[in-house]
Amino acid sequence: MATLTKYSRLFATQVKNNFVREAVYRSNFVTMLFTDLVWIAVEFALFTVIYANTDTLAGWTKEQVFFFLGIFFASDAINATFFQRNFWQFSDLVNKGELDILLTKPVSPAFLALTRWMSLTSILNFFFGIAIAIKYADASGFAGGLRWALVPVWLAIGVAASVLLRFAFAVWVFWTDRSWAITRLYFQFFGLATKPDAIFPAAIRYTIMTFLPFAFIGSVPTRALLWGLSPLETAGVVLVLIAFYVFDVVFWRLGLRRYQSASS
Amino acid sequence: MRDATLSGPGDSLPGSKSSLLPRLEWRIAALKNGFQDATAYRLEFFLEVFGAAFVPAAIQWVLWYALFVMGHQETIGGLTYHQMLAYTFTSILFTQIRGGDHDFELVEMIRSGGLSNYLLRPTGVVEFVWIRGLAPKLFISAVCLGIGVAVSFFYPELSAARMVAAMGLALLGNIIAYQIGATIATLAFYWEEAYSMLMVKNMIVQILCGELLPLSLFPASMTWMWKSTPFYLYVYGPTQYALGRWTTGEFMDAVGIACLWMLGLWGLVHLSWKLSIKRYLSLGG
Repeated sequence: MATLTKYSRLFATQVKNNFVREAVYRSNFVTMLFTDLVWIAVEFALFTVIYANTDTLAGWTKEQVFFFLGIFFASDAINATFFQRNFWQFSDLVNKGELDILLTKPVSPAFLALTRWMSLTSILNFFFGIAIAIKYADASGFAGGLRWALVPVWLAIGVAASVLLRFAFAVWVFWTDRSWAITRLYFQFFGLATKPDAIFPAAIRYTIMTFLPFAFIGSVPTRALLWGLSPLETAGVVLVLIAFYVFDVVFWRLGLRRYQSASS
Repeated sequence: MRDATLSGPGDSLPGSKSSLLPRLEWRIAALKNGFQDATAYRLEFFLEVFGAAFVPAAIQWVLWYALFVMGHQETIGGLTYHQMLAYTFTSILFTQIRGGDHDFELVEMIRSGGLSNYLLRPTGVVEFVWIRGLAPKLFISAVCLGIGVAVSFFYPELSAARMVAAMGLALLGNIIAYQIGATIATLAFYWEEAYSMLMVKNMIVQILCGELLPLSLFPASMTWMWKSTPFYLYVYGPTQYALGRWTTGEFMDAVGIACLWMLGLWGLVHLSWKLSIKRYLSLGG
């Protein structure tokens, strides 16, 4: 309990520091807002064009896909707000030796590495996402009522999947000199997260629910909210997340052993 | 007075034979340098090319799979499953040529003050950065052209001669893409966050260039979106011509339109850099 309190206070301090930092660059707020709005518009435009040519896509109606986009944007926004930016610094942590300072602190260096930098303005996307989900909830067949209580649970699962996956791509920087290509590969694969998993053929669908669980970010939570998941599928989600957590911890520790400060 | 950001002193010597060599020399050197820089880390280079080609193609393919195979549709927007797959395969070859990140490089130079080093060199910085970025694209376009020509022997819908011409249009598209990027990059003289405008541009290009789906699928009420920009010249136009879905007349029209865009953007690049460079403080952002 004391550990949890310590880390909660540390996280709150990080949020405060980041808030102060972002308040200095106010134009960044407008920029992020505009960029994210365009991203949302492009995703909506893509599905609008597709649905101009068909009534359903792998059994999903337009409203169901738009509900999915709402959940996906909300889940991704939490990740973008609190964690995403730190992964862009991973390369500097290792190659410039910036990890040294984190290793000297009396808390987990991984926790510090994941929470130092935040993009608090991205939280607006969360509200956009939720607003979109609310707008299309009825038309998509979402039962509503008490089921809304499940939304935070599935969003948390989506965020956990995003962070664990991104970490699994970023941790290789201990072994490679540059992380640009792997980062880019991550964002290419991230395209798989922006579509409902039902549209994928069996092999790809299996992949994005196991080895590369991009479907956990938005698609699986949406299916769970709209139609519910089988106990087997729910257990699968939990097991895959645990496996990724173990993978990340093991490779982080192996990476730390290899780390040679600024000269690595 | 010449603008050092656009053309270097090597270019200002009047047209004797001796003036031609420095003009060519630095450009060839920049081309070599760009290629060496891009391929210094070979695994990274190939991962990047693979990621840029495979994933968008896979996403397109699953969309067609969901619509045709799972949805049991015969045609979508007048195209069969087979024709959609042909579009996807051919468009990948041109997707590799479009864009690049050299416009981001310009923004970073302006923001960080790194531009100062280039202003002192006998080269035009805008062209220098483009040539450096073009080098790996030329290599990739040669590989893609080879693949396209080889496939055309087994797949009659794809013509080798048309493939060569279409690659030419894709390269014109690359120039237009950079000219737009270089113009937007000048925002960095005024605004720290200018790179975000390049991100916005890239997101819009992705859907309007035909990389994600054939632009013929756009409903009539939305066709103005892609017709009013030059982005369709990057991927959709070359793909349509290579697959024989555009006549040579339509292709020549597209080339003409590309030239007009290039001319207009050339003027815009000159004007924006000439005006904006006055704001440059070389302070590192």
